[in-house]
Amino acid sequence: MIRGKIIGQVWGARHVPGLDGRKLVLVAAHDAAQAPTGRVVVAIDTLDLRSGDDVTVAFGSGARNVLRPGPDNRDLVCDAAIAALVEGAE
Amino acid sequence: MFLGRVVGSVWSTVKWPEASGLKLLLVRPYCLADLAAQAGSAGGGSGGKSTAGAGAQPTDDLVVCADRLDAGPGDDVLVAFGHAARVAMAGALPAGQKPNVPIDAAVVAVVDRVEIDSA
Repeated sequence: MIRGKIIGQVWGARHVPGLDGRKLVLVAAHDAAQAPTGRVVVAIDTLDLRSGDDVTVAFGSGARNVLRPGPDNRDLVCDAAIAALVEGAE
Repeated sequence: MFLGRVVGSVWSTVKWPEASGLKLLLVRPYCLADLAAQAGSAGGGSGGKSTAGAGAQPTDDLVVCADRLDAGPGDDVLVAFGHAARVAMAGALPAGQKPNVPIDAAVVAVVDRVEIDSA
């Protein structure tokens, strides 16, 4: 997983069927000092968060487990999803 | 997933049979500085928005990804990695063929709108 901050949202009418109805957010990855590293990922947001929120993003099968707990979730088109809203870190 | 711009295409004649018929695109991922610059220019006179990621250079490699949405050079696209990419391409394969094609990246959406709220 990575930590980052939601900076925006993305829309695309032309998409593969598996992405129907998904909210897609842009997340700027943060380093240990909570400064942006420059890397930006797009993640599926099931928690309906907003820009400025600190989040963790899960990848791979961990991301699919956010949408639907496994093991029967290998049909999902999802490789990155918001796993948690971060309230504090030290 | 990541957001990127299609900058070209790749083709080959020698490949695994499972990969035949797949269209391959070259995509350059956007970094934070790119998106901050876009947001700044879209904001018109507001300009002057500080780019927190200005120090980060766009060093990401180009990504080769399969495409079934007929994207072309200049399009902004979303690219998924791993198993999600193979599942995304499943509908473009001959009926009955399992999504076991030798790819690990695919275009899953052609982007119409990007909204950046802060950078």
